[in-house]
Amino acid sequence: MKPPVKKDTTPFFVGYFKVPKKLRSFLLIAGVAVVAFMTAFGLVSGASQDDPGDGAFRFDYGRQTVTGVIELLPYPLLHVTEGNDRIKPGHTLMLTAQGKSGVFSRAEPLEGQKVTASGIILERGALNMLQVRGGARGLGPAEGSGAPPVSEPLGRWKLAGEICDGKCLAGAMRPGRGIAHKACANLCLLGDIPPVFVSTKPVDGSEFLMILGKDGGPLPAIAYDYVAQFISLEGDVSRHGDLLVLRMDPATIEVMK
Amino acid sequence: MTTAETLLWLARIWLIVGGVTAAAFLTIGIDRIDEDAQGTYAFRPLLLPGILLLWPLVLWRWYVLETGRDDPDARFKPVRTAHGAMAVTLCIVILGTVLFALSSRQNWPAEFEPVQLSAPDQTPSGEVSE
Repeated sequence: MKPPVKKDTTPFFVGYFKVPKKLRSFLLIAGVAVVAFMTAFGLVSGASQDDPGDGAFRFDYGRQTVTGVIELLPYPLLHVTEGNDRIKPGHTLMLTAQGKSGVFSRAEPLEGQKVTASGIILERGALNMLQVRGGARGLGPAEGSGAPPVSEPLGRWKLAGEICDGKCLAGAMRPGRGIAHKACANLCLLGDIPPVFVSTKPVDGSEFLMILGKDGGPLPAIAYDYVAQFISLEGDVSRHGDLLVLRMDPATIEVMK
Repeated sequence: MTTAETLLWLARIWLIVGGVTAAAFLTIGIDRIDEDAQGTYAFRPLLLPGILLLWPLVLWRWYVLETGRDDPDARFKPVRTAHGAMAVTLCIVILGTVLFALSSRQNWPAEFEPVQLSAPDQTPSGEVSE
């Protein structure tokens, strides 16, 4: 004779069956707890992030077309001579191509010449940049002649802040700075997007400075390791039009605590 | 070598070893450890991406099966006993990672005032002071 089979009364949840009575309270508490925890976690995570600011592509401005003179730095500048309602004459624009590409190869043949530039503005407060259209429609020679303004040296400075890629910082990405954005920033910088140093406090009225190497060349390779970190560094500052340019000394970089 | 170059170098080495492993496994090994794969070839290229990334696991399983150390019943043993501990461990690891990341974040040095180290006339345009 077979011994009687002991019936297992442990409640077992099966999605398409009615929920066992003994499991109802557990499921209710667990469900509410999971939703509450995830909500709280999301809120705390979001609240702990820095405000990405109001930088953005200003498509609402429409396509901007201005005339100016190219100053051929490793990241070419456009000194506006004939502007429009939004971009005034005398303003200095950093330039970028679409995506993660700079405009050096397109600007090189136009060095010191008067050009017409057309594209979309990226804007974050006092910082802006022009993303030019493709080909000569975006950056092409204009009639007349001109010369970039003479740069004004402002001396050697010690600054604290962050190295960013100017395009994302100006609004191509939100957030366009910080450690979570480092990989994107370095890819942009490898593509010759103008690097920008964000200073903790304004230097001669501006907290944004375009960065060059110590010898006036492109951003030195060692600086890529410090992108998106809060650092202090020394370098020579000069004013090019209404834009400040920092020739950084890589040997002076110190990571802030 | 910068950090990025080091990471790329490590990734390249990993993929090269994975490629060598894939070549050996897909031409020799798979026929020796899986009789169902013998004489079938069309599916083998589909395994390439996985082997490139998981080549240590492939080599280990190849070794275990080749040397007869495999316990075929092991896959049917319940693993539920380990689930609880793993779930708790995972929770602790995730929470610890988040807390570590938040606590090790740098603070924006908002109080740092730019310091002018030398006057403009001592630093002519185009030259860098030493």
